[in-house]
Amino acid sequence: MRRFVVLLGMAAALSAATGAQAYHRFWAHCNYDPSTFMTTMTRDAAQDYANAARYEGYQWGGGCWNYDDVDAYPYDPPADAGMHGEGGDCSGLTFKTWRESTDTWRDGRWYWRALRNVHGPYDAAAFRDGVGAPNHVVAKSTAGVMDAFASGTHIGMVFMRSPYGGDQIVEAKCEACGTNIFYRTYRSDSSYGGVGRWGWTG
Amino acid sequence: MDRLIGAPLALLMLVAAACDRDARPARLLDGRPAAHFRRVDDSILTTARILRRPGLGRRLESCLFRGDRPRVAPDALVVERVGVVGESLTFANRGHTGVYACDGGIDPAGERAPPWCGAVFGELVDGRLLDPRLDVICRTTRRMPLAYVFVDPVPGAHWVGVDQGGYVELYEVLGAVPVRVASTRHVDTANARASFTVAQYDVAGRLLTRQELEAAVAG
Repeated sequence: MRRFVVLLGMAAALSAATGAQAYHRFWAHCNYDPSTFMTTMTRDAAQDYANAARYEGYQWGGGCWNYDDVDAYPYDPPADAGMHGEGGDCSGLTFKTWRESTDTWRDGRWYWRALRNVHGPYDAAAFRDGVGAPNHVVAKSTAGVMDAFASGTHIGMVFMRSPYGGDQIVEAKCEACGTNIFYRTYRSDSSYGGVGRWGWTG
Repeated sequence: MDRLIGAPLALLMLVAAACDRDARPARLLDGRPAAHFRRVDDSILTTARILRRPGLGRRLESCLFRGDRPRVAPDALVVERVGVVGESLTFANRGHTGVYACDGGIDPAGERAPPWCGAVFGELVDGRLLDPRLDVICRTTRRMPLAYVFVDPVPGAHWVGVDQGGYVELYEVLGAVPVRVASTRHVDTANARASFTVAQYDVAGRLLTRQELEAAVAG
């Protein structure tokens, strides 16, 4: 009987440890493969790339997801980059969709696979300010498909303009709301600026 | 013969060990002599002062996004810091719901004129930051990757010390805003991450906390 109780206790401890370790281990599925240099980058392809990231979740400081349409770890604590959950954050999604380099002085096109864990050097404010060779500030009135609106704390890309004054924005918004396309009025919000990517080929 | 070989080898090892640790610099980034705080071993004091926004003129306005300018009070208090490799301005927005930092250095893309190469904003919740707002975009004048983060002082802290290898860079806690610190150590630009060894001291230099701060670019 004593042996049974000891084994039961060990089993309980092990199962608890396994659960704790399994949680927030989505990054174990991610990789650090090199990006692929591309000569082309179309707005259509960027739409497809960002659209495919929908429902894959949100991770503060993250940039790694699969394509199963499920957020493996929703409702993580906000602003904790150590959770290692699935999904990008707003700037990570933009960085990968815009095929940017981790070197801010490079303006070429670098394709990152979904499971490649990369966030890039820019936060939303840096995008908003047009920091980095591939990025530039655009007038909000002229921002088109797959240009973006960025504030000091958030960035979302224009998926399509809406006839109702706002835009359909593809964005990684928050742990609870994940990555999706939302109707937003960033275009008329004074805290947001317009930002674009140089080098579209179509 | 063994002794003859052993002596230079030991000397070589000593030199290698010394090279691995940054020697304590004699001057700060602006050329002023670097002072030492006796209560903290191998320390260097960064300079810090509080100014009003108008007193900084274009030095601040050139860093602040035009849409954010109305969100900062015209006479806002600004903490200006100069360290060994970095310099910064830190100030809160009107409602003290967030804090801005202008980070000094070289912009490797060559788009921003010195002294600023980066600007960040961090939201405050109950007066504390959710995230240290890492910035890894800047480079030093020697083109080394330079990382900036905010450190929230613990109660009673008067000095924030950052381990820079061969010395501890001390930042005075000023102005009721988080302390913006800089380092060239353990900066991983490829993964937009950096780690800092941060100690906090009271006014007499007594150690209050020491921690590893792991930070990632986010948001």
